[in-house]
Amino acid sequence: MSVDMSMPILVVDDYNTMIRIIRNLLKQLGFEDIDDASDGSAALTKMREKKYGLVISDWNMEPMTGYELLKEVRADPSLSKTPFIMVTAESKTENVIAAKKAGVNNYIVKPFNAQTLKTKIDAVFAE
Amino acid sequence: MGITNTQHLERIVDYLKEKRGEDVSLADVVALAEITAESLQTFFETMDTALYRELRDIAGYIADMKVEIGALQANELKNSRIPAAGQELGAIVQATEKATNTIMECAEELMAADASDAAAYKALVDEKMLIIFEACSFQDITGQRIAKVVETLQHIEARVSRFATAMRAKDMTGYFTEQEKARAARREKLLLNGPQLEGEAIGQNDVDSLLSQDNDSAQSDIDRLFS
Repeated sequence: MSVDMSMPILVVDDYNTMIRIIRNLLKQLGFEDIDDASDGSAALTKMREKKYGLVISDWNMEPMTGYELLKEVRADPSLSKTPFIMVTAESKTENVIAAKKAGVNNYIVKPFNAQTLKTKIDAVFAE
Repeated sequence: MGITNTQHLERIVDYLKEKRGEDVSLADVVALAEITAESLQTFFETMDTALYRELRDIAGYIADMKVEIGALQANELKNSRIPAAGQELGAIVQATEKATNTIMECAEELMAADASDAAAYKALVDEKMLIIFEACSFQDITGQRIAKVVETLQHIEARVSRFATAMRAKDMTGYFTEQEKARAARREKLLLNGPQLEGEAIGQNDVDSLLSQDNDSAQSDIDRLFS
């Protein structure tokens, strides 16, 4: 399955600079429709208003973490199929395993580069 | 001292035996009171010596503690060093954020620039590169600020360590406040481990490997983590 470059992507991070970095990388990869949210609860609100083709989320945010967002998304029948990539500095084995159990599609450890982001997005849509 | 007390008690017993059945006069009461007073006097003398020794030890301990509390320089830490370290860290965050924004603005302008006019594009690139170089100078200043914060931490560590040793302090279990307890519970529940130091973190290749394992393997990894 090829990647739809016109799909809306939601970037979730509490750090504006990281949102800006991911947004620029996604633009470089050819994506144009990019929204952002500063935590899991703000992301959920946006996801219930607009259908996103991909969510790229940080883990450690307040009040709702990316891990909680992932579980909420997978528990909501209207959102559960949304591809979800975790992009985070949480680099312990237990985090990766927990995210996998919760239904994450891929997991990127910060710091990362454009090539890693592209590879992981391609991998998610190749599933 | 115990023998003396016994002797006094024996005297009281003998006196009472001797006087049993007879009318008790005022002189008898006074005599009994004298024996009892002598007996109590000895008791208080014994108690005073033991008590004095205990109080002297406690006073010595309190004096040592006052010296150690003074050496901790808690007021200086609270009023000066820790707030100063906080300000340094705040300045570091601001400086890195400002530099990052400057660099990203330059990169975004270059990405959006029209490259059809090579000479104009080259001039724009030269101009933005110069700004990027200037922005990178934040690293020198933040390095100096971080060194000051590290020095403060070492200062605190030395004093707290000396205090703990002198007081033979034992760590309290549990949490200092309910907020602290709630934060720790949140960190544990939501696996908020934060960035790891080199050697502690797993790399992207390990992540990919974990994600590609089947669910049974992942479960065994989880079991291993909790065993």
